[in-house]
Amino acid sequence: MSHLQMLSRIPRPLRTLERGMAQSQGWVKRYFRAFCKGFFVAVPVAVTFLDRVACVARVEGASMQPSLNPGGSQSSDVVLLNHWKVRNFEVQRGDIVSLVSPKNPEQKIIKRVIALEGDIVKTIGHKNRYVKVPRGHIWVEGDHHGHSFDSNSFGPVSLGLLHAHATHILWPPERWQKLESVLPPERLPVQSEKESLHGSP
Amino acid sequence: MEFPGPWWQSLHRTMLRGILGKTFRLVGYTIQYACIAHCTFEYVGGVVMCSGPSMEPTIQNSDIVCAENLSRHFYGIQRGDIVIAKSPSDPKSNICKRVIGLEGDKILTSHPSDFFKSHNYVPTGHVWLEGDNLQNSTDSRYYGPVPYGLIRGRIFFKIWPLSDFGFLRDSPNGHRSPGD
Repeated sequence: MSHLQMLSRIPRPLRTLERGMAQSQGWVKRYFRAFCKGFFVAVPVAVTFLDRVACVARVEGASMQPSLNPGGSQSSDVVLLNHWKVRNFEVQRGDIVSLVSPKNPEQKIIKRVIALEGDIVKTIGHKNRYVKVPRGHIWVEGDHHGHSFDSNSFGPVSLGLLHAHATHILWPPERWQKLESVLPPERLPVQSEKESLHGSP
Repeated sequence: MEFPGPWWQSLHRTMLRGILGKTFRLVGYTIQYACIAHCTFEYVGGVVMCSGPSMEPTIQNSDIVCAENLSRHFYGIQRGDIVIAKSPSDPKSNICKRVIGLEGDKILTSHPSDFFKSHNYVPTGHVWLEGDNLQNSTDSRYYGPVPYGLIRGRIFFKIWPLSDFGFLRDSPNGHRSPGD
């Protein structure tokens, strides 16, 4: 019996079922291919965005009270971290920035920039009373003096450790606000070489 | 009945749509490949050209080497590795040095011919970097221990010049940290 003759002996509904099964298998293959294509586009773009443009992070600890986490451990603030603003390592005095901890590279810390390179700072609890910030470094401090592991403990930090600039608080909703770059007047550097860049009047 | 516009109007429209479509596609592909490039250089590794005399004879000026970033992310940098790091005094430039000591190591900071030896301990979260060309290298002896967070990758292979193709040699200066 020839192949065609055999086929004609198979009842009709079974033939339709076989065709249907072949079609659905084709569906699976197409879906899989589309998924792979989308995956290899979406993942690098998402990773690059989170590394280079912006991401969010939860703040833990009390070193930036009262600006961040005023409620302590009950409600942690979630902040928007802007990488794009610091892509050229340009920060101003008073900015709240996140950086890689100089003592523990697996951890990121969030502090306020007090002084830029060339400034002379009056320290609180550092082994030297006055410190001149070397080239390519910044002096960071938490707002909650005494409860903060900052430059008063580990000295000026290199700008290369800068991670992002915290611009807004996103959560909880009642604390939704833009974080201002204010420097408390008592923490102004004793002498500054660089002038802060402000918008022209 | 509809009357199609003059022939040049429809030609304009199709040309514009074609150019716009092509531009969007080009932009899309550029963004996609830029993102893949970023992910590769950031998480896997890349090819780097070194300049300067501070790592002679291991790496000469204008040599091309391969760097990998996996060791940095998994905290697997060892003593004796050659690393690329951001310069502590200029975050936009990179330095290429050898790791002499990890955190907690005792580093000999005095000259070997001095009678009174002075030592320094490498603080936590830092490494001590030195160039192989000790006479002509600004390194940790000048700017102190370097935070681990500044390390960008580990150099493990040289690809140019071809006469020196292959894995990189050990330090020509021997062990500099007693109490390993």
